[in-house]
Amino acid sequence: MHKYLKQFVHKSPWLYRINAGSCNGCDVELATTALIPRYDVERLGCKYCGSPRHADIVLISGPLTTRVKERVLRVYEEIPHPKVTVAVGICPISGGVFRDSYSIEGPMDRYIPIDVNVPGCPPRPQAIMEGILKACEIWKKQIMEVA
Amino acid sequence: MINDYIHAGIALLIFPGGLFALATGLLFKGMDRIAVARLQRRVGPPVLQPVFDIIKLSTKEILIPESANDAIFKLAPMMGLMGSLVCAALVPIAGVWKGIPGAGDIFVLLYLFSLPALAFMFGGSSSSSPFGAIGFSREMVIMFAYEIPLLATLLAVAVRADWSLSLDGIIAYQTANGPFLLDPVMIPAFLAYLLFIPGTMGAGLFDIPEAEEEVIEGPVLEYSGPLLALFNLMSAVKLMVVLSLGVALFFPLLLPGGIWVNLPFHLVKCLVLMLTAVSLFRASTGRLRIDQAFIFFLKYPSSLAYVSLLGAFLLR
Repeated sequence: MHKYLKQFVHKSPWLYRINAGSCNGCDVELATTALIPRYDVERLGCKYCGSPRHADIVLISGPLTTRVKERVLRVYEEIPHPKVTVAVGICPISGGVFRDSYSIEGPMDRYIPIDVNVPGCPPRPQAIMEGILKACEIWKKQIMEVA
Repeated sequence: MINDYIHAGIALLIFPGGLFALATGLLFKGMDRIAVARLQRRVGPPVLQPVFDIIKLSTKEILIPESANDAIFKLAPMMGLMGSLVCAALVPIAGVWKGIPGAGDIFVLLYLFSLPALAFMFGGSSSSSPFGAIGFSREMVIMFAYEIPLLATLLAVAVRADWSLSLDGIIAYQTANGPFLLDPVMIPAFLAYLLFIPGTMGAGLFDIPEAEEEVIEGPVLEYSGPLLALFNLMSAVKLMVVLSLGVALFFPLLLPGGIWVNLPFHLVKCLVLMLTAVSLFRASTGRLRIDQAFIFFLKYPSSLAYVSLLGAFLLR
Protein backbone atom coordinates (compact mmCIF):
# COMPACT_ATOMS: atom_id res chain seq x y z
CA MET A 1 0.00 0.00 0.00
CA HIS A 2 1.01 3.57 -0.58
CA LYS A 3 3.45 4.87 2.04
CA TYR A 4 1.47 8.01 2.77
CA LEU A 5 -1.77 6.12 3.36
CA LYS A 6 -0.01 3.43 5.39
CA GLN A 7 0.58 5.77 8.31
CA PHE A 8 -3.19 6.02 8.89
CA VAL A 9 -3.91 2.29 8.78
CA HIS A 10 -3.70 1.75 12.53
CA LYS A 11 -6.16 4.51 13.38
CA SER A 12 -9.39 2.54 13.41
CA PRO A 13 -9.29 -0.52 15.66
CA TRP A 14 -12.84 -1.86 15.87
CA LEU A 15 -13.92 -3.70 19.01
CA TYR A 16 -15.94 -6.87 19.19
CA ARG A 17 -17.30 -8.48 22.35
CA ILE A 18 -17.61 -12.22 22.93
CA ASN A 19 -19.45 -13.43 26.00
CA ALA A 20 -18.08 -16.86 26.86
CA GLY A 21 -20.55 -17.60 29.64
CA SER A 22 -19.85 -14.48 31.66
CA CYS A 23 -22.05 -13.46 34.60
CA ASN A 24 -22.69 -10.18 32.71
CA GLY A 25 -20.70 -8.09 35.19
CA CYS A 26 -17.78 -7.48 32.86
CA ASP A 27 -20.19 -7.01 29.95
CA VAL A 28 -21.96 -4.25 31.81
CA GLU A 29 -18.61 -2.61 32.46
CA LEU A 30 -17.75 -2.86 28.77
CA ALA A 31 -21.10 -1.72 27.47
CA THR A 32 -21.94 1.12 29.80
CA THR A 33 -18.90 2.59 31.52
CA ALA A 34 -15.48 1.46 30.43
CA LEU A 35 -15.30 2.17 26.75
CA ILE A 36 -17.44 4.23 24.49
CA PRO A 37 -20.37 5.63 26.46
CA ARG A 38 -18.46 7.17 29.36
CA TYR A 39 -14.69 7.17 28.97
CA ASP A 40 -14.79 7.44 25.19
CA VAL A 41 -12.20 5.29 23.49
CA GLU A 42 -13.95 6.40 20.29
CA ARG A 43 -11.37 9.17 20.26
CA LEU A 44 -8.80 6.49 19.38
CA GLY A 45 -10.99 5.49 16.47
CA CYS A 46 -12.51 2.52 18.25
CA LYS A 47 -16.08 1.51 17.57
CA TYR A 48 -18.18 -1.43 18.70
CA CYS A 49 -19.09 -3.58 15.74
CA GLY A 50 -21.84 -6.16 15.81
CA SER A 51 -20.36 -8.64 13.36
CA PRO A 52 -17.22 -10.74 13.95
CA ARG A 53 -16.23 -10.11 10.33
CA HIS A 54 -15.63 -6.43 11.07
CA ALA A 55 -13.59 -6.97 14.22
CA ASP A 56 -9.98 -6.03 14.94
CA ILE A 57 -9.76 -6.27 18.73
CA VAL A 58 -11.71 -9.06 20.42
CA LEU A 59 -12.84 -8.60 24.02
CA ILE A 60 -13.63 -11.94 25.67
CA SER A 61 -15.40 -12.14 29.02
CA GLY A 62 -16.50 -15.24 30.92
CA PRO A 63 -14.91 -18.54 31.95
CA LEU A 64 -15.68 -20.51 28.75
CA THR A 65 -18.47 -22.83 29.81
CA THR A 66 -18.90 -26.27 28.24
CA ARG A 67 -22.08 -25.23 26.47
CA VAL A 68 -20.64 -22.14 24.84
CA LYS A 69 -17.16 -23.43 23.97
CA GLU A 70 -17.84 -24.62 20.41
CA ARG A 71 -19.65 -21.39 19.54
CA VAL A 72 -16.93 -19.16 20.95
CA LEU A 73 -14.22 -20.99 19.03
CA ARG A 74 -16.30 -20.83 15.86
CA VAL A 75 -16.96 -17.10 16.16
CA TYR A 76 -13.28 -16.57 16.91
CA GLU A 77 -12.33 -18.41 13.71
CA GLU A 78 -14.66 -16.14 11.72
CA ILE A 79 -12.73 -13.00 12.62
CA PRO A 80 -10.38 -11.93 9.81
CA HIS A 81 -6.66 -11.43 10.48
CA PRO A 82 -4.99 -9.45 11.99
CA LYS A 83 -6.80 -9.71 15.32
CA VAL A 84 -5.80 -9.08 18.93
CA THR A 85 -7.52 -10.77 21.87
CA VAL A 86 -8.14 -9.16 25.25
CA ALA A 87 -9.36 -11.30 28.17
CA VAL A 88 -11.60 -9.03 30.28
CA GLY A 89 -12.11 -10.05 33.92
CA ILE A 90 -10.59 -12.86 35.95
CA CYS A 91 -12.87 -15.57 34.51
CA PRO A 92 -11.18 -16.07 31.12
CA ILE A 93 -7.78 -15.92 32.83
CA SER A 94 -8.21 -18.51 35.57
CA GLY A 95 -11.90 -19.29 35.92
CA GLY A 96 -12.38 -16.84 38.80
CA VAL A 97 -15.11 -17.83 41.23
CA PHE A 98 -16.19 -20.59 38.84
CA ARG A 99 -12.81 -22.30 38.93
CA ASP A 100 -12.86 -26.11 39.19
CA SER A 101 -16.55 -26.17 38.36
CA TYR A 102 -17.73 -29.21 36.39
CA SER A 103 -19.11 -27.02 33.62
CA ILE A 104 -16.03 -24.86 32.95
CA GLU A 105 -13.65 -25.63 30.10
CA GLY A 106 -11.30 -22.67 30.69
CA PRO A 107 -8.86 -21.12 31.12
CA MET A 108 -9.33 -19.44 27.78
CA ASP A 109 -5.71 -19.53 26.60
CA ARG A 110 -5.87 -23.28 26.21
CA TYR A 111 -7.88 -22.69 23.06
CA ILE A 112 -7.36 -19.10 21.94
CA PRO A 113 -4.14 -17.06 21.98
CA ILE A 114 -4.71 -14.23 24.48
CA ASP A 115 -2.62 -11.07 23.95
CA VAL A 116 -3.69 -8.92 26.90
CA ASN A 117 -5.06 -9.97 30.31
CA VAL A 118 -7.20 -7.55 32.32
CA PRO A 119 -7.85 -9.20 35.72
CA GLY A 120 -10.59 -8.05 38.11
CA CYS A 121 -14.11 -9.05 39.06
CA PRO A 122 -15.15 -6.91 37.32
CA PRO A 123 -12.05 -4.89 36.38
CA ARG A 124 -12.09 -1.13 36.91
CA PRO A 125 -12.92 0.88 33.78
CA GLN A 126 -9.44 2.40 33.86
CA ALA A 127 -7.90 -1.08 33.81
CA ILE A 128 -10.03 -2.10 30.84
CA MET A 129 -9.00 1.06 29.02
CA GLU A 130 -5.33 0.35 29.68
CA GLY A 131 -5.85 -3.14 28.32
CA ILE A 132 -7.44 -1.70 25.18
CA LEU A 133 -4.54 0.71 24.74
CA LYS A 134 -2.03 -2.15 24.97
CA ALA A 135 -4.08 -4.19 22.53
CA CYS A 136 -4.14 -1.22 20.15
CA GLU A 137 -0.34 -1.10 20.20
CA ILE A 138 -0.04 -4.81 19.45
CA TRP A 139 -2.64 -4.50 16.70
CA LYS A 140 -0.80 -1.52 15.23
CA LYS A 141 2.36 -3.61 14.80
CA GLN A 142 0.38 -6.42 13.20
CA ILE A 143 -1.60 -4.31 10.75
CA MET A 144 1.47 -2.32 9.72
CA GLU A 145 3.09 -5.60 8.70
CA VAL A 146 0.05 -6.62 6.66
CA ALA A 147 -0.45 -3.25 4.95
CA MET B 1 -23.14 17.31 -28.23
CA ILE B 2 -19.59 16.20 -27.37
CA ASN B 3 -19.48 19.07 -24.92
CA ASP B 4 -22.55 17.71 -23.18
CA TYR B 5 -20.88 14.35 -22.71
CA ILE B 6 -17.74 15.93 -21.26
CA HIS B 7 -19.97 17.99 -19.00
CA ALA B 8 -21.80 14.88 -17.80
CA GLY B 9 -18.53 12.98 -17.36
CA ILE B 10 -17.10 15.68 -15.15
CA ALA B 11 -20.34 15.76 -13.16
CA LEU B 12 -20.18 12.01 -12.58
CA LEU B 13 -16.49 11.71 -11.77
CA ILE B 14 -15.35 14.95 -10.16
CA PHE B 15 -17.96 17.56 -9.27
CA PRO B 16 -20.64 17.44 -7.86
CA GLY B 17 -20.68 13.64 -8.02
CA GLY B 18 -17.53 11.54 -7.82
CA LEU B 19 -14.62 12.85 -5.82
CA PHE B 20 -16.41 15.89 -4.42
CA ALA B 21 -19.35 13.87 -3.12
CA LEU B 22 -17.04 11.21 -1.64
CA ALA B 23 -14.85 13.78 0.10
CA THR B 24 -17.67 15.89 1.51
CA GLY B 25 -19.72 12.81 2.42
CA LEU B 26 -16.88 11.29 4.45
CA LEU B 27 -16.16 14.64 6.08
CA PHE B 28 -19.84 15.04 7.00
CA LYS B 29 -19.92 11.52 8.44
CA GLY B 30 -16.96 12.46 10.64
CA MET B 31 -18.67 15.64 11.78
CA ASP B 32 -21.80 13.65 12.55
CA ARG B 33 -19.83 11.31 14.80
CA ILE B 34 -18.19 14.24 16.58
CA ALA B 35 -21.54 15.99 17.02
CA VAL B 36 -23.12 12.90 18.55
CA ALA B 37 -20.11 12.45 20.86
CA ARG B 38 -20.34 16.07 22.00
CA LEU B 39 -24.06 15.69 22.68
CA GLN B 40 -23.15 12.74 24.94
CA ARG B 41 -20.38 14.82 26.59
CA ARG B 42 -17.55 12.91 24.98
CA VAL B 43 -14.63 14.07 22.86
CA GLY B 44 -15.38 11.92 19.86
CA PRO B 45 -13.17 10.64 17.06
CA PRO B 46 -11.10 12.84 14.73
CA VAL B 47 -13.01 14.41 11.81
CA LEU B 48 -11.20 12.16 9.36
CA GLN B 49 -12.19 8.96 11.21
CA PRO B 50 -14.42 7.67 8.35
CA VAL B 51 -11.43 8.06 6.01
CA PHE B 52 -9.20 6.11 8.41
CA ASP B 53 -11.87 3.41 8.59
CA ILE B 54 -11.88 3.13 4.80
CA ILE B 55 -8.06 2.94 4.67
CA LYS B 56 -7.99 0.22 7.30
CA LEU B 57 -10.80 -1.78 5.72
CA SER B 58 -9.05 -1.75 2.37
CA THR B 59 -6.09 -3.63 3.90
CA LYS B 60 -8.15 -6.36 5.56
CA GLU B 61 -8.96 -9.69 3.98
CA ILE B 62 -12.26 -10.38 2.20
CA LEU B 63 -14.16 -13.35 3.59
CA ILE B 64 -17.02 -14.74 1.54
CA PRO B 65 -19.33 -17.35 3.08
CA GLU B 66 -19.28 -20.70 1.28
CA SER B 67 -23.03 -20.75 0.79
CA ALA B 68 -23.22 -17.14 -0.44
CA ASN B 69 -23.99 -16.21 -4.02
CA ASP B 70 -20.53 -14.99 -5.03
CA ALA B 71 -21.32 -12.71 -7.96
CA ILE B 72 -24.22 -10.85 -6.34
CA PHE B 73 -22.36 -10.67 -3.04
CA LYS B 74 -19.49 -8.81 -4.72
CA LEU B 75 -21.62 -6.75 -7.12
CA ALA B 76 -24.10 -5.39 -4.57
CA PRO B 77 -21.80 -2.80 -2.89
CA MET B 78 -20.50 -1.61 -6.25
CA MET B 79 -24.02 -1.20 -7.58
CA GLY B 80 -25.03 0.79 -4.51
CA LEU B 81 -22.01 3.07 -4.72
CA MET B 82 -22.57 3.75 -8.41
CA GLY B 83 -26.27 4.45 -7.86
CA SER B 84 -25.54 6.98 -5.16
CA LEU B 85 -22.77 8.61 -7.25
CA VAL B 86 -25.16 9.06 -10.18
CA CYS B 87 -27.69 10.59 -7.78
CA ALA B 88 -25.02 12.98 -6.53
CA ALA B 89 -24.27 14.08 -10.09
CA LEU B 90 -27.96 14.82 -10.77
CA VAL B 91 -28.74 17.05 -7.80
CA PRO B 92 -28.06 20.68 -8.67
CA ILE B 93 -26.42 23.12 -6.27
CA ALA B 94 -28.00 26.57 -6.31
CA GLY B 95 -25.76 29.17 -7.89
CA VAL B 96 -22.99 26.64 -8.55
CA TRP B 97 -24.17 23.78 -10.69
CA LYS B 98 -27.32 23.49 -12.80
CA GLY B 99 -27.37 19.73 -13.16
CA ILE B 100 -26.63 17.71 -16.27
CA PRO B 101 -28.62 19.36 -19.09
CA GLY B 102 -31.57 17.28 -20.23
CA ALA B 103 -31.11 14.62 -17.55
CA GLY B 104 -32.52 14.00 -14.14
CA ASP B 105 -35.93 15.27 -13.11
CA ILE B 106 -37.31 14.36 -9.71
CA PHE B 107 -38.75 11.04 -10.89
CA VAL B 108 -35.38 9.81 -12.14
CA LEU B 109 -33.98 10.74 -8.74
CA LEU B 110 -36.78 8.89 -6.99
CA TYR B 111 -35.88 5.73 -8.87
CA LEU B 112 -32.12 6.08 -8.41
CA PHE B 113 -32.65 6.78 -4.72
CA SER B 114 -33.73 3.23 -4.16
CA LEU B 115 -30.49 1.79 -5.61
CA PRO B 116 -28.46 2.02 -2.38
CA ALA B 117 -31.33 0.43 -0.46
CA LEU B 118 -31.59 -2.26 -3.13
CA ALA B 119 -27.85 -2.86 -2.82
CA PHE B 120 -28.32 -3.49 0.91
CA MET B 121 -31.10 -5.93 0.12
CA PHE B 122 -29.11 -7.83 -2.51
CA GLY B 123 -26.07 -7.95 -0.25
CA GLY B 124 -28.08 -9.15 2.71
CA SER B 125 -30.03 -11.77 0.83
CA SER B 126 -27.05 -13.13 -1.13
CA SER B 127 -24.94 -13.54 2.03
CA SER B 128 -27.01 -16.61 3.01
CA SER B 129 -26.99 -15.51 6.63
CA PRO B 130 -30.34 -15.53 8.45
CA PHE B 131 -29.51 -12.17 9.98
CA GLY B 132 -28.82 -10.82 6.49
CA ALA B 133 -32.23 -12.08 5.42
CA ILE B 134 -33.94 -10.38 8.35
CA GLY B 135 -32.06 -7.18 7.54
CA PHE B 136 -33.19 -7.54 3.94
CA SER B 137 -36.85 -7.79 4.87
CA ARG B 138 -36.58 -4.87 7.30
CA GLU B 139 -34.83 -2.69 4.72
CA MET B 140 -37.56 -3.48 2.21
CA VAL B 141 -40.38 -2.64 4.61
CA ILE B 142 -38.83 0.63 5.70
CA MET B 143 -38.09 1.58 2.10
CA PHE B 144 -41.74 1.13 1.13
CA ALA B 145 -42.70 3.19 4.16
CA TYR B 146 -40.43 6.20 3.57
CA GLU B 147 -40.94 6.36 -0.18
CA ILE B 148 -44.58 7.35 0.22
CA PRO B 149 -43.89 10.62 2.11
CA LEU B 150 -40.89 11.24 -0.17
CA LEU B 151 -43.05 10.97 -3.28
CA ALA B 152 -45.73 13.20 -1.77
CA THR B 153 -43.11 15.76 -0.73
CA LEU B 154 -41.51 15.85 -4.17
CA LEU B 155 -44.93 16.22 -5.80
CA ALA B 156 -45.91 19.01 -3.43
CA VAL B 157 -42.71 20.90 -4.22
CA ALA B 158 -43.19 20.33 -7.95
CA VAL B 159 -46.80 21.55 -7.88
CA ARG B 160 -45.90 24.58 -5.79
CA ALA B 161 -43.09 25.43 -8.21
CA ASP B 162 -45.59 25.76 -11.05
CA TRP B 163 -45.48 22.14 -12.17
CA SER B 164 -41.75 22.12 -12.62
CA LEU B 165 -40.46 18.56 -12.55
CA SER B 166 -36.81 19.47 -13.01
CA LEU B 167 -34.82 20.35 -9.92
CA ASP B 168 -33.23 23.25 -11.76
CA GLY B 169 -36.68 24.67 -12.48
CA ILE B 170 -37.64 24.28 -8.81
CA ILE B 171 -34.53 26.18 -7.77
CA ALA B 172 -35.18 28.90 -10.36
CA TYR B 173 -38.78 29.31 -9.10
CA GLN B 174 -37.60 29.67 -5.50
CA THR B 175 -34.87 32.15 -6.46
CA ALA B 176 -37.59 34.30 -8.01
CA ASN B 177 -40.33 33.82 -5.38
CA GLY B 178 -38.54 33.10 -2.11
CA PRO B 179 -37.52 29.74 -0.62
CA PHE B 180 -40.20 27.17 0.27
CA LEU B 181 -38.88 26.91 3.82
CA LEU B 182 -40.46 30.34 4.51
CA ASP B 183 -43.69 29.41 2.73
CA PRO B 184 -46.37 28.33 5.26
CA VAL B 185 -47.94 25.91 2.78
CA MET B 186 -44.68 24.02 2.34
CA ILE B 187 -43.57 23.80 5.97
CA PRO B 188 -45.38 20.46 6.57
CA ALA B 189 -43.61 19.02 3.52
CA PHE B 190 -40.30 20.22 4.93
CA LEU B 191 -41.06 18.49 8.24
CA ALA B 192 -41.89 15.32 6.32
CA TYR B 193 -38.55 15.57 4.54
CA LEU B 194 -36.81 16.09 7.89
CA LEU B 195 -38.27 12.77 9.04
CA PHE B 196 -37.44 11.07 5.74
CA ILE B 197 -33.71 11.83 6.14
CA PRO B 198 -33.11 9.67 9.24
CA GLY B 199 -35.45 7.07 7.74
CA THR B 200 -33.33 6.59 4.66
CA MET B 201 -30.01 6.97 6.51
CA GLY B 202 -31.06 4.48 9.20
CA ALA B 203 -30.48 6.83 12.14
CA GLY B 204 -32.10 7.00 15.57
CA LEU B 205 -35.67 5.69 15.53
CA PHE B 206 -35.13 4.07 12.15
CA ASP B 207 -31.82 2.28 12.74
CA ILE B 208 -33.77 -0.92 12.15
CA PRO B 209 -32.33 -2.79 9.13
CA GLU B 210 -28.76 -2.49 10.45
CA ALA B 211 -29.55 -2.79 14.15
CA GLU B 212 -26.33 -3.97 15.79
CA GLU B 213 -27.87 -5.42 18.91
CA GLU B 214 -30.76 -7.18 17.18
CA VAL B 215 -29.62 -8.44 13.80
CA ILE B 216 -25.85 -7.81 14.21
CA GLU B 217 -25.70 -5.19 11.43
CA GLY B 218 -28.12 -7.12 9.21
CA PRO B 219 -27.26 -6.88 5.51
CA VAL B 220 -23.57 -5.96 5.99
CA LEU B 221 -23.05 -8.72 8.57
CA GLU B 222 -21.00 -10.98 6.29
CA TYR B 223 -19.09 -8.21 4.52
CA SER B 224 -15.48 -7.59 5.44
CA GLY B 225 -12.53 -5.59 4.18
CA PRO B 226 -12.77 -3.61 0.90
CA LEU B 227 -16.37 -4.66 0.20
CA LEU B 228 -17.47 -3.20 3.53
CA ALA B 229 -15.48 -0.07 2.68
CA LEU B 230 -17.58 0.26 -0.49
CA PHE B 231 -20.75 0.14 1.61
CA ASN B 232 -19.33 2.86 3.87
CA LEU B 233 -18.54 5.04 0.84
CA MET B 234 -22.03 4.41 -0.49
CA SER B 235 -23.66 5.58 2.69
CA ALA B 236 -21.42 8.69 2.80
CA VAL B 237 -22.41 9.69 -0.74
CA LYS B 238 -26.05 8.91 -0.02
CA LEU B 239 -25.95 11.21 2.99
CA MET B 240 -24.61 14.00 0.78
CA VAL B 241 -27.32 13.39 -1.85
CA VAL B 242 -30.13 13.46 0.68
CA LEU B 243 -28.85 16.68 2.25
CA SER B 244 -28.20 18.40 -1.11
CA LEU B 245 -31.64 17.44 -2.32
CA GLY B 246 -33.21 18.82 0.85
CA VAL B 247 -31.41 22.13 0.36
CA ALA B 248 -32.38 22.24 -3.32
CA LEU B 249 -36.03 21.51 -2.59
CA PHE B 250 -36.58 23.88 0.31
CA PHE B 251 -33.83 26.44 0.80
CA PRO B 252 -31.78 27.20 -2.34
CA LEU B 253 -31.13 30.74 -1.13
CA LEU B 254 -28.31 32.56 -2.91
CA LEU B 255 -25.78 34.97 -1.50
CA PRO B 256 -24.45 37.78 -3.70
CA GLY B 257 -21.13 36.66 -5.11
CA GLY B 258 -19.98 33.86 -7.34
CA ILE B 259 -19.35 30.17 -6.94
CA TRP B 260 -16.78 30.61 -4.18
CA VAL B 261 -19.34 32.20 -1.89
CA ASN B 262 -22.28 29.96 -2.74
CA LEU B 263 -20.52 26.59 -2.60
CA PRO B 264 -19.40 27.00 1.04
CA PHE B 265 -22.84 28.47 1.79
CA HIS B 266 -24.45 25.35 0.33
CA LEU B 267 -22.22 23.12 2.46
CA VAL B 268 -23.11 25.11 5.58
CA LYS B 269 -26.82 24.63 4.82
CA CYS B 270 -26.22 20.89 4.33
CA LEU B 271 -24.32 20.75 7.63
CA VAL B 272 -27.14 22.44 9.56
CA LEU B 273 -29.63 20.06 7.98
CA MET B 274 -27.46 17.06 8.93
CA LEU B 275 -26.91 18.21 12.52
CA THR B 276 -30.67 18.51 13.09
CA ALA B 277 -32.02 15.62 11.07
CA VAL B 278 -29.27 13.06 11.67
CA SER B 279 -26.96 13.89 14.60
CA LEU B 280 -29.44 15.37 17.07
CA PHE B 281 -32.06 12.81 16.07
CA ARG B 282 -29.61 9.93 16.42
CA ALA B 283 -28.33 11.08 19.81
CA SER B 284 -31.77 11.67 21.32
CA THR B 285 -33.91 8.74 20.17
CA GLY B 286 -33.85 4.97 20.51
CA ARG B 287 -34.90 2.36 18.02
CA LEU B 288 -38.47 1.51 16.99
CA ARG B 289 -39.73 -1.92 16.00
CA ILE B 290 -40.11 -2.35 12.27
CA ASP B 291 -43.93 -2.44 12.41
CA GLN B 292 -43.99 0.71 14.53
CA ALA B 293 -41.68 2.47 12.07
CA PHE B 294 -43.89 1.42 9.14
CA ILE B 295 -47.00 2.80 10.81
CA PHE B 296 -45.12 5.92 11.91
CA PHE B 297 -44.14 6.75 8.33
CA LEU B 298 -47.64 6.12 7.03
CA LYS B 299 -49.19 8.27 9.74
CA TYR B 300 -47.09 11.34 10.37
CA PRO B 301 -44.67 12.21 7.55
CA SER B 302 -47.18 11.07 4.92
CA SER B 303 -50.03 13.14 6.29
CA LEU B 304 -47.72 16.16 6.65
CA ALA B 305 -46.64 15.81 3.04
CA TYR B 306 -50.25 15.36 1.88
CA VAL B 307 -51.27 18.55 3.69
CA SER B 308 -48.65 20.42 1.70
CA LEU B 309 -49.65 18.72 -1.52
CA LEU B 310 -53.28 19.66 -0.99
CA GLY B 311 -52.33 23.21 -0.06
CA ALA B 312 -50.16 23.53 -3.14
CA PHE B 313 -53.04 22.34 -5.35
CA LEU B 314 -55.64 24.63 -3.76
CA LEU B 315 -53.51 27.77 -3.76
CA ARG B 316 -52.33 27.55 -7.33
